[in-house]
Amino acid sequence: MNKIFSIAWREFAATVFTKGFIMGIVMTPVMLAIVAGAITLMKKQKGPQIVGSVAIIDRSNLLESRIISNFSDDAVKKELDADSERAKAIVKEATKGTNIDPNALPIGSMPTPPIEEAPLLSLEFLPADTKDDDAKKPLETAEVRRREAGRADVSRIALVVIEPSTVMGDEKGNYPNFKTFYADRLDFQVTGKIERRIARAIVDTRLANDQRIASTGLSSEQLRKIMGQPSADSKTVTVGGEKSSKGELKMLVPMGFMMLLMMSVLTSSQYLLTSTVEEKSNRVMEVLLSAVSPAQLMTGKILGYMGVGLLVLFLYGSLGIAGLIAFALFDLIEPMQLVYLVIFFGIAYFLIASLMAAIGAAVNEMKEAQAMMAPVMVIVMIPWLTWFLIQRAPNSTLATTLSFIPGANPFVMMIRLCGSEPVPTWQIPVSIAVGIASVIAAGWAAGKVFRVGALMYGKPPNFKTLWRWIKMA
Amino acid sequence: MTNAIEIKGVTKTFGSKLAVNSLDLIIPQGSLYGFIGPNGAGKTTTIRMIMSIIFPDSGYLSVLGKASAIESKDRIGYLPEERGLYRKMKVGPFLEYIAKLKGQDSAGLQQKVKFWLDKVGLADVYRKKCEELSKGMQQKVQFISAVIHEPDLIILDEPFSGLDPINRRLLRSLIDEQHKLGRTLIFSTHAMFEAEQLCTHLFMIHQGNKVLDLPLADVWKKYDPKILHVEPLGSVDEAAAKLAGIEGVVNVVTTTTGIDLRLHPHANAAAAVSAVAARIPARMIEIRRPSVEDIFVELVGGDAAALKAELDGLSSEESTDSLPRRSPAGVES
Repeated sequence: MNKIFSIAWREFAATVFTKGFIMGIVMTPVMLAIVAGAITLMKKQKGPQIVGSVAIIDRSNLLESRIISNFSDDAVKKELDADSERAKAIVKEATKGTNIDPNALPIGSMPTPPIEEAPLLSLEFLPADTKDDDAKKPLETAEVRRREAGRADVSRIALVVIEPSTVMGDEKGNYPNFKTFYADRLDFQVTGKIERRIARAIVDTRLANDQRIASTGLSSEQLRKIMGQPSADSKTVTVGGEKSSKGELKMLVPMGFMMLLMMSVLTSSQYLLTSTVEEKSNRVMEVLLSAVSPAQLMTGKILGYMGVGLLVLFLYGSLGIAGLIAFALFDLIEPMQLVYLVIFFGIAYFLIASLMAAIGAAVNEMKEAQAMMAPVMVIVMIPWLTWFLIQRAPNSTLATTLSFIPGANPFVMMIRLCGSEPVPTWQIPVSIAVGIASVIAAGWAAGKVFRVGALMYGKPPNFKTLWRWIKMA
Repeated sequence: MTNAIEIKGVTKTFGSKLAVNSLDLIIPQGSLYGFIGPNGAGKTTTIRMIMSIIFPDSGYLSVLGKASAIESKDRIGYLPEERGLYRKMKVGPFLEYIAKLKGQDSAGLQQKVKFWLDKVGLADVYRKKCEELSKGMQQKVQFISAVIHEPDLIILDEPFSGLDPINRRLLRSLIDEQHKLGRTLIFSTHAMFEAEQLCTHLFMIHQGNKVLDLPLADVWKKYDPKILHVEPLGSVDEAAAKLAGIEGVVNVVTTTTGIDLRLHPHANAAAAVSAVAARIPARMIEIRRPSVEDIFVELVGGDAAALKAELDGLSSEESTDSLPRRSPAGVES
């Protein structure tokens, strides 16, 4: 027993205390966190607002007052309020079906930004007979700049040309688009704001000038409300009573759990494969086998790399949980899901690690190992390729079938258990039992292959040879 | 005295190739056994079967009184033919790891490793990575890994290959030391003079068949001297002509150092020595003991020519440090 733990500890230490592992596995999440933090910080420290003038050629001669009002401070404030409301609505939609209070989220509780965050745009109304080309000319050399103390000059950064037909309609009753010209390197948020304000002024003017609508006495504000498309307040009806339907955020949980499981299992079993192939090609194998039995060596190695896998699972899992807590999203997951995560990690790891140990012992170099890994990887990749289908219909025939296929079942069950529909109770123990049976079978076969293969050099075995090794006493 | 290893009727085939054929071998405790044979003779296969790394197709095998080496792994030290170290691991921790796998307590292990490294002249490599060592250094580290747990039985597969003359001498003294401590040692080699200098017993194998298995003293008794080596004071050619007619001499060969007189198997060697001394003034007259190599070549008979060529190739590259052959029968004049 001591020998097995000596082996396990050496394998664990030889993998974990290396630059490659620390940089690759440990530093990646740390770097990600740093980058995410830096981006958030940088976003908060926006530069001063963009300064510029918007030239307008209004050939309908109907829009000036509405455009001025849409660019006024009051209108800009309203615009910012509306933007922030929209963001909150998206968060609310996404957190539907969870116990999360959208107002507790950073984005949900963010105050409306101050007016200084909107671009500072002045207006220039040009005579209706100004030629487009003449008005465009200054854009070529325009300086798109931010506000600076002690600088009063303003460049023309945009030109808007509105034909009468855009406002009043042409003879066929169509309303053509208006034209805009921008200086180079103008932010899309600025152009978006300009276009939205102009478009609003145009629509309001159309409504005000249409005799049919004017006669109803409806304001454009009222008309907008009438035209607004309603969305559904959906509830899911179950035996246990009604509950709100799930939002998009909830959809990410199954995917997250599967990724976590797959990453930890594949990383650690890949390390196991590499070290086994190395021991064989280094010929350390013979030294080791003169001290311990092949079964002891394989068990020690599998346990050692299980430590590596659990470390990865723990690191990334706690990073994910920390993220959820930071964004007050922890309610998205249920504690039982974490228990299942550990159970299915065990099943997936022991199955794949046994196969990797056998492959590593059977081949002479990594290249040969890749070829033999293909069938294993195909099975593991099925859940990866079908996760969306499984998540959308967690109790479909596909999902149920895959839940009982060794190799795929831990991942598929993880998706289903985190999904929106409850998995039939009997399927959970049966899937776990299938998993455990597959682990025992794989471990037994791998032990045989490992024993024969570990000291066999030369031509790598084909599947027929492997089968013969397995059948050997 | 009990036997460290007993092998009876052991056969091993790889596919259609017969690697070891119905082998009987008994290795008494405390003996120093040299396994000799050319490449592919079956030495490593025999050793691996003793180590229970591979298993015989048929026959009986016992190691240290147990049916399999697995049951007494901790009492056996093994240096495999293919050297293997963890490239990225430091030398000290590597040796400690192997010792732990051999059932050693971790208490005091570090001192023990340092003691051994010091002993083989590698005191400063404790913290170096294995991949930083030269091939010879790696081999010495591996030798330590075979003996650090003070095993009763030490099996060394080709321990001398790849070592320079100084390290060969060091290794020889280390092997001798282990022997004097009463441990049973087996080493295989295809460089036969190493065996001559070290062994108490010789075991020869050729194409899977045992061709010789005797204590070294009996080997010398059994294979009588048949060559007289003469170094004349004067011209070699003149001397050779004078010596040709001596009774019992069947062949005269001049070499760079002198003249080899091959005697008839039934010739009286002592009479021939006096005859030579009577005919020419000589710096040295020696009844040459046949080298293990010669015996081997004689034993495998038919393949002798090919084998001789191979062995010559080997000794010219490996015998640079060979100590002067023991020549107790030498007569100096």
